Amino acid sequence: MSEMKKIKNLKEFSTSADRFEGANLLCPGCAHSIIVREVLNATNDDLVLAASTGCLEVCTAVYPYTSWDASWIHIGFENGSTAVAGAEAMYKALKTKGRLKQPDRTPKFVAFGGDGASYDIGFQWISGCMERNHDMMYVVLDNEVYANTGGQRSSSTPIGASATTTPAGKISYGETKNKKDMMGIMAAHNIPYAAQVAPNKWKDMVKKIQKGFATEGAVFINAVSPCTTEWKFDPKDTMHLTDLATDSLVFPLYEIIDGHELNITYRPKNIVPVEEYLAAQGRFRHLFKDQYKYLIKEWQERVDANWAYLNRREEARV
Amino acid sequence: MANTGWDEFEIGAMLRTFEGEAGDVVNTLQEDRNYTQNSSFSASVADWRIEKPVFNKDYCIDCQFCWVYCPDISIISRDKKMIGIDMDHCKGCGICVEVCPTNPKSLLMFPEKADEETEIAQWPSKEEKEK
Repeated sequence: MSEMKKIKNLKEFSTSADRFEGANLLCPGCAHSIIVREVLNATNDDLVLAASTGCLEVCTAVYPYTSWDASWIHIGFENGSTAVAGAEAMYKALKTKGRLKQPDRTPKFVAFGGDGASYDIGFQWISGCMERNHDMMYVVLDNEVYANTGGQRSSSTPIGASATTTPAGKISYGETKNKKDMMGIMAAHNIPYAAQVAPNKWKDMVKKIQKGFATEGAVFINAVSPCTTEWKFDPKDTMHLTDLATDSLVFPLYEIIDGHELNITYRPKNIVPVEEYLAAQGRFRHLFKDQYKYLIKEWQERVDANWAYLNRREEARV
Repeated sequence: MANTGWDEFEIGAMLRTFEGEAGDVVNTLQEDRNYTQNSSFSASVADWRIEKPVFNKDYCIDCQFCWVYCPDISIISRDKKMIGIDMDHCKGCGICVEVCPTNPKSLLMFPEKADEETEIAQWPSKEEKEK
């Protein structure tokens, strides 16, 4: 059971029997379930799952239905991570005492949370889990907004995005604060593995998830999840938006091992201008007015600087 | 549990996805699983659709892009072959059509009321690429 599932190509991957069910109430075209499926299908082991409050939780557990075929707990906004950490501690204790009923099975512990539950509300709890180095994986479904409650800004919302609490208008260009560097913060806990993934690069993503499952200790995964409702694009364009996010380097794909060994895992052949990424979304529409056009230039500079920083870190191994 | 009202629902209660023992879920395909009424698999969101995807197997190359990018587990792939669409769970988002790489596409969106056989009979032909 503990043997890693072999996934050489997409055809082989497609023989997986899903443990996440349809008829959940996520919006049509929501990237959350694409990410969840890629995570769950990456392993054949038993799963112990939790979801912090957010779109994923409320849409997959609408009474009297559940969309999960594995043990899954419905829990508060902040403590999805600690619920799983507790289950993991229990598992370890029973294992040490030799009281496991099926000792040959090696369950994997995964907690899901949106960016609101991870970047803001559950932040100290996740930090605690990472610091204690529980053998678990925390997956952030990063859609850069509190999508479940009506699109309020979170600390993941990037500059210039119009959210319901930072609306763009004559005086304001929307969100004024830059996005929190969650990957950097989590890697600073010196956890064994942290990675940024995108569902469109499924092979890269599955590889990282499997690496995470194979790692003993805390694993942090940050996954970009374009939100058709709050980013304001057509549901059919979800994968196109994810492509733009990764190819424009707004959302670079990399991993950090033991807090210092940074590897960039995807280098786009043709780097797309950030302008194209911004233009594809309704939440940035106001940036294309003459008044705010300077922000697009600033965006590009910020993204370029971040990419240069990642490259330097990769080279220097710090 | 399915017949219990929300106010009779105990705190800490459990919803069971499968009848009896869960068994070996990973190695059991959806059609062979013994779902309870509590699994959303037994529910349907077919009424969400305005447009539906129609699958034309003549052009399909079984690349499985639609399978991996379907948010609603509605692309049915068995033995590495795409065999059809689960119309109970499809919400009609159209991602499968967008990611289909064949020319002409082997999946296209049509209005919900369109007749599948008629549409497949008049499937668009290969598009010439602009040079």
